[in-house]
Amino acid sequence: MPVAQRPRMTAAPSEQEDMPRRRLLSWFTSVGLFGSAVLSAFSNFVFIKPRATYGQPARFAIGKPEEFPPGTRISLDARRVCIVREGGKMAAISTTCTHLGCIVGVSDTGFACPCHGSRFDQDGNVTGGPAPKPLPWYKVSLKPNGDLEVDKGVEVMPGTYYNV
Amino acid sequence: MSQATKEAGLWTAVKELPGNFWSSIFRNPLPSSDLERASTSFTNFFLHIHPVKVHRNTLRPIYTLGLGLISFFLFLILMVTGILLMFYYVPSTTQAYDRMLDLRGSVAFGTFLRNMHRWSAHGMVAVVFLHMCRVFLTGAYKKPREFNWVLGVGLLLVTLFLSFTGYLLPWDQLAFWAITVGTSIAGYAPLVGQQIKFLLLGDATVGQEALLRFYVLHVAVLPATLMLLIGVHFWRIRKDGGLSRPEEPANLAVRVTAVPVEKAVEEKKRTYGLVGFVRGPFTKIGNIPDNSVYSWPNLLMAELFVFVLTVAAILTLSLLFHAPLEEPVNVMHPPNPAKAPWYFLGLQEMVSYSAFWGGIGIPTVFVLLLLLAPYLDRNPRGVGRWFARERLLANTIFITLVVVNVIFIVIGTFFRGPNWSFVSPW
Repeated sequence: MPVAQRPRMTAAPSEQEDMPRRRLLSWFTSVGLFGSAVLSAFSNFVFIKPRATYGQPARFAIGKPEEFPPGTRISLDARRVCIVREGGKMAAISTTCTHLGCIVGVSDTGFACPCHGSRFDQDGNVTGGPAPKPLPWYKVSLKPNGDLEVDKGVEVMPGTYYNV
Repeated sequence: MSQATKEAGLWTAVKELPGNFWSSIFRNPLPSSDLERASTSFTNFFLHIHPVKVHRNTLRPIYTLGLGLISFFLFLILMVTGILLMFYYVPSTTQAYDRMLDLRGSVAFGTFLRNMHRWSAHGMVAVVFLHMCRVFLTGAYKKPREFNWVLGVGLLLVTLFLSFTGYLLPWDQLAFWAITVGTSIAGYAPLVGQQIKFLLLGDATVGQEALLRFYVLHVAVLPATLMLLIGVHFWRIRKDGGLSRPEEPANLAVRVTAVPVEKAVEEKKRTYGLVGFVRGPFTKIGNIPDNSVYSWPNLLMAELFVFVLTVAAILTLSLLFHAPLEEPVNVMHPPNPAKAPWYFLGLQEMVSYSAFWGGIGIPTVFVLLLLLAPYLDRNPRGVGRWFARERLLANTIFITLVVVNVIFIVIGTFFRGPNWSFVSPW
């Protein structure tokens, strides 16, 4: 069914001139108001995002090599790394589960996560459960004073050992 | 002479003061007629959220089961007990747990208030979910109530976030590992995941900043959001024409013509006048049978009954069962198994298969399905009845999803042991 069309109003000459200006002004106003709202919302995010954090240091000393006799597998839970020594080779394997961040425990076959059942072998490779990635290995080095140092800021290829 | 009248005037004023004061607050005496019943509802700030009259169907207990009201009353209990608990709580990793022990040991009614807060929170999660089931299974989300359903889904999500941020605050083992896992799940969200995780934690690791942030979310941001949503949710109930109900029988028109004109005019005189811009058949002209009753006292009494029942249930639970408090935080050893509260165990079970799909993908699809339900299912029939035959397909899909969820929760609760390995509860 055809809809009856409303008769077009013929605007007065002055009105015709005013309309584009009015529309432009209202457009500017809307953009300005909306833009300010977006900016202030964004600035809230800037505010709640901390600029400096005071978490744990990434680099820390773990003691002399002699404190870790060959065959050691010690989990330093406060640091969330497992120190491994096989013969003269040493490595630091992360004990933070790559699934959802729980601390994995040292088990007979490697590592096991209590939260969602991820399993890892001795080298941190995933052998079961939902973990998407193997446990990362961190750089181990010797400080000038003879202490071993682990740097959690630097990941190394799994299987990269430091020779004592 | 003037002094005498002044004294008499003052004396009269003092004598009539209580009555005048009372009537200045309550402009209406206790109602004895329909007109007064109506004005009781709309002259009182706290009562005017109600319509003057409600449909009989609104008051059928087996239709609504009172679930929306129970959720609201539980929220009221949570507000009161929560504000009281704030007097003794400090959001500090070194003090929070001690404050929990203080509540237990040295604060009058401390344990009791914490019990009430915890059980009301669990109850609210459960009842809000059941309320959603009621609305779906009675088809109440259909046009014109689609958007109120969307608001309701928002309310369910805010309720879940509130309970999540709440059980982190005691800073016990559950709290620490729940934050660890919860924020890691957020980290799996595509593109912005890691940023969201960092914003939530306020640090690279879980610690003081995270506790403070979850505290602010729990006591300010989320309750304010919830109150706003509840306000709009309630307002829209009225603007969308009251609670859903079955269509009025169509043969009414026939009966209208069969009635003598004089009688129709009489009826019109009786019920006309309470005009509101409210959808739905509240304004009666002619002799359409009036299926509505006055909110005062019918709806008020029903609400009071539900309120008393809710408070009684929470008080009883809080006297009988203590709110759980696990060991103090040990950042080195997650409890084994580390289990979330029951309502998140379905999620935890799903996450144990895949962090992304269980924690982000499937929940997002589920929420989207809920949000879009009224816009996808536009079949207008079967509204206002439980398990209407016309809604067999929609109801079956919904019930299936609910049952799957419950199965996951049951598996997570009873069939998971140390290292989240499958164990038999028997």
